Amino acid sequence: MATARAIARPDAADLTDPAYLKIRDLIYRTSGIYEPEEKLYLLASRCARRMKEVEAKSAADYLQRLIGHPDRDSELRSLLNEITIGETYMFRSPPQLEALRNVILPQLTKSKAAMGFKRLRLWSAGCSTGEEPYTLAMFLLEESATRLAGWTFDILATDLNDNSLATARAGIYGDYSLRNTPEALKRKYFTAHDDKHLQVSDQLKSVVRFDRVNLNDDQRMALLKGIDLIFCCNVLIYFDLNSKRKVMQHLYTNILPGGYLFLGHAESLYHVDDRFQLVHFPGAIAYWKAPAGAAGVKQP
Amino acid sequence: MNSQPLERIRPKIEALNAIPSIPAIILPLTSLLQAPPDQVDIDKVVELVSYDSSIAAQCLRLANSPLFGRKNTETVRSAVMALGLKRVEAILLGCCLNRVVPADKWSFDAVTFWRHCLGCALVSRKLAKLIGYDDPEKSYLAGLIHDLGILITNIACADEFRACIQDARERHVSLYQNEQQHLGFTHCDSGKILAQRWKFPADLVQVIEFHHNEAELASRPLLSLVHLSDLLCRVRNLGYGYYEAMGVHFAGSPAWESLAKTYPALAKADLARLTMDLDGAMDEIATVVDTVFATPAASH
Repeated sequence: MATARAIARPDAADLTDPAYLKIRDLIYRTSGIYEPEEKLYLLASRCARRMKEVEAKSAADYLQRLIGHPDRDSELRSLLNEITIGETYMFRSPPQLEALRNVILPQLTKSKAAMGFKRLRLWSAGCSTGEEPYTLAMFLLEESATRLAGWTFDILATDLNDNSLATARAGIYGDYSLRNTPEALKRKYFTAHDDKHLQVSDQLKSVVRFDRVNLNDDQRMALLKGIDLIFCCNVLIYFDLNSKRKVMQHLYTNILPGGYLFLGHAESLYHVDDRFQLVHFPGAIAYWKAPAGAAGVKQP
Repeated sequence: MNSQPLERIRPKIEALNAIPSIPAIILPLTSLLQAPPDQVDIDKVVELVSYDSSIAAQCLRLANSPLFGRKNTETVRSAVMALGLKRVEAILLGCCLNRVVPADKWSFDAVTFWRHCLGCALVSRKLAKLIGYDDPEKSYLAGLIHDLGILITNIACADEFRACIQDARERHVSLYQNEQQHLGFTHCDSGKILAQRWKFPADLVQVIEFHHNEAELASRPLLSLVHLSDLLCRVRNLGYGYYEAMGVHFAGSPAWESLAKTYPALAKADLARLTMDLDGAMDEIATVVDTVFATPAASH
């Protein structure tokens, strides 16, 4: 690990440029994505690609482009695209799934069963090309053999981009998307498509429903109710603060009391929303909608 | 709590006091740390480091490692200057405490344990500075030694402790809870006995004794800081090396609420960002700890 990181590190002298810290803070302020100081080299290498593209001579020069140039909004968007590129593959975040398996599902199934419900609704909001909802589908189908025996579930997967949705519906994936998928699950939930691609099985497709939804569409968002778990990874980063707050207001309404919202691993809702409660699980953080009168999450 | 088992191991713990040189180094260290960083006598630190050839060698090795980018650091003084006081102290204390437990007596991975302690120290200091607590260096030290009892229990009843950890690992429960069930006492009890024998200051003894006890946290900021830092480390891959099924709502915890009453800055803290900063510091924690524990053959 250390060696790989060392190789990825650009010229060390570059990183002493305070402009990188300012770019980091700008990104955090506008998108909620954060890079700790020790990982600035990752940000610097993302910036380097954009700097080459726009012919910026230095980090300070590039910073100016992000704050003072007429094209600053589109440049910031391009930089965010660089930062989040390659984020989508199956089983992208094992700690989130471990939190589901070990803490959240036991909690949710207990409280829902007490009320006579044995159904779970999940929503992948901003599902891109479908890797996330299919991962959740595999995870839940596997849990059906044990903890979720006798439960039904459905997964809603939405995106704004029609091309992404078409790819998701087709369900054909190559090595990159499948690099973290255990072999046993590949055999169980996929069939061969061609030499280099696997096709999602009908069983997996049957538990995921794809739809085109704009998270900014008030009427549409108001119709989505009764969700237990929302996954909204690297989506909010593209909204401005007011839109973010509006989307969060919707998500808070969409989610049932006791439900959780997961964001991307470097995303934060600081200054965006204070109704959800930040909960830490080993290796993962999530935002919790506390039921009225809840005493808080139990901690050892 | 049943005090019988604790009374059974008390003589064994007290006998540990006979181990030479442990208190001899730790006590000057704790008093050294009481001084503000700019008033610490560097000569005294160099003297402490030189006191022990293996500690001096480890300081030199770390100072010459790629993390510090220095080559040919040949004297203890230049190694101390390169590393900074905090890292030197971490190495010193790590080496001292490590010697309490002979290499073949560890019930679990010594590197994992020490990473947890150092992580807790760094987070305690960071949190202390963030909220304006007046003695961040003391909170660093408190974080470093809070789990002293684990070392002691490890020696005093190795077989039972090994079984206790193994069971906690399999059931994903906290070590503290499992100690109460399996041993009838916890590392907080055993640590307190040793800390008192070693004449630690009363507030540090309290940290060792009560860092898992929420009923004792009120109006004890040092204790609350360590309690929160310990939890934060355990949810960021700096725990005891196994998955603890836990969801922690920090802002709703008694420690957080009690601390926020005295230190209003805490209420404004960006916990998600702090968490990501901790992830960023992992490389440094790993390097310092691996230096302390690496055998010469394994280091490069």
